[in-house]
Amino acid sequence: MSLPAQQNTIHIEALRKSYNEQASGDVRYIIKDVNLVIKGGEFFILLGPSGCGKSTLLNIIAGFVSKSGGHLRIDDVEVKEPGKDRAVVFQQADSSLFPWLTVRENVEFGLRMKKTPKPERRRISDSFIGLVGLTGHENKFPKELSGGMKQRVQLARVLAGDPAILLMDEPFGALDAMTRRTMQKELIRIWRETNKTVIFVTHDIQEALLLGQRIGIMSVGPSSNITDIYDNPLSFPRDEASPEFGELYNQIQSHFAR
Amino acid sequence: MKWIERKWVSVSILWVAAILLWQLGALIYGPDVIPGPWRTLQGGRELVMDGTLMQYIGISFIRVLVGWTLGSLLAIPVGLAIGRVRLLRIFAEPFLNFIRFIPPIAFITLFLVWFGIGEQSKIALIMYATFFIVVLNTLTGVLAMEEDKLRSARSMGASEWQILLHVIIPATTPYIYTGVRLAMGTSYMAIIGAEMIASNEGVGYLIWNSRLFFRTDWIFVGLFCLGFMGFFTDRLFGWFGRKVLYRYGVVGSAVRRG
Repeated sequence: MSLPAQQNTIHIEALRKSYNEQASGDVRYIIKDVNLVIKGGEFFILLGPSGCGKSTLLNIIAGFVSKSGGHLRIDDVEVKEPGKDRAVVFQQADSSLFPWLTVRENVEFGLRMKKTPKPERRRISDSFIGLVGLTGHENKFPKELSGGMKQRVQLARVLAGDPAILLMDEPFGALDAMTRRTMQKELIRIWRETNKTVIFVTHDIQEALLLGQRIGIMSVGPSSNITDIYDNPLSFPRDEASPEFGELYNQIQSHFAR
Repeated sequence: MKWIERKWVSVSILWVAAILLWQLGALIYGPDVIPGPWRTLQGGRELVMDGTLMQYIGISFIRVLVGWTLGSLLAIPVGLAIGRVRLLRIFAEPFLNFIRFIPPIAFITLFLVWFGIGEQSKIALIMYATFFIVVLNTLTGVLAMEEDKLRSARSMGASEWQILLHVIIPATTPYIYTGVRLAMGTSYMAIIGAEMIASNEGVGYLIWNSRLFFRTDWIFVGLFCLGFMGFFTDRLFGWFGRKVLYRYGVVGSAVRRG
């Protein structure tokens, strides 16, 4: 049921966020003057050092945090609150998954809230549990799973709601290097199969280059914004040992060294 | 495992030692001050034969059960509401922290004036003993819940009512359970006080009234009954937690056995 790629374009104009804009005197902005257009179906990376406001920007797009000013539109509709068109994969699976539900029940949560009939729910959860490679683990509880498997559950859970946009906040940050590598490959496979728009937050340059089609660099806060956007034209699967990859890596690396 | 670490061995040793010590005390101080095990058993048989013991246990137990159940049923929604609504919390917290230091026993005379000498005053007292513990635990559970759970539920399209029912209550269940279980203990304390002061039935009455006949053995019987009543209800509740509430992360026993 994926939508045509031209739809679900995200327009961000002069977006800003402050927690004390109403206060007189010294107003501090977390992000300011953020301008960005993300096309439907694109894999976009938000790259920047810790504390630069990447997560704040993502949370505003998700509708969890309200903006202080500027515009955020998806297909010309102003975004103000969470919606089923946007799904979020959180960094910590332990805090976002429901530990009292099995893998299948977690994946079916959104469908159950929508009162989707049980056979339909079952069919959808089966297919997404299969897509993320968790077939055979349906009846386990999250605490019985490894970190990587929990992130797979999160992915299946949000995909089951068929959102157009996936917002991912350093989802592999807490995983070990080997599991992270596997999950990155899996995510690319799933993205290509489902044709979703992905906005992926990371502070890892290598991860950014392995995954993203475009990489937006955020400056160090406060008042941070997107200073540069790099295109990554390399085809998937990407080889981090290739010279082209290395060249892009050095380019971005030198950006942060400035 | 060494033989002495086996549960039945350690428990048997403990009981035999306790009974020996008890017998020793009885021999030293005489049966009027410390009635020995045998004498206590005789006294117990006396009370069982004329039917008073079972009747008193039943009466005390019903009072605790009714007051504790009603108190918990009242406290859980109140705790959830205070936890969820900031404005309520601002007003309720100082009040809760003030009143929870007033022990139930201190209210006995007042409750007698308000609710009369009958069952109502006792049940009201137990409700009071239960209420604040359960409210505070429920409240703590709501506040301890991760924001990510609420956010993910919201972005999967759950309504506020569904979030309460399907996220907040299950996530708070271990806290509610602990509160309700602790409240069982304070309920026993409260009922014994109430029965001593204002009742002519019940285990508390038995203990208090036995002094008139100088029957210290009956006092011992009363104390044992209380111990067993508390022990068995707690065990039952622990078993219920392990079997029924397992998926919510409830740990069955207060002392976790490895």
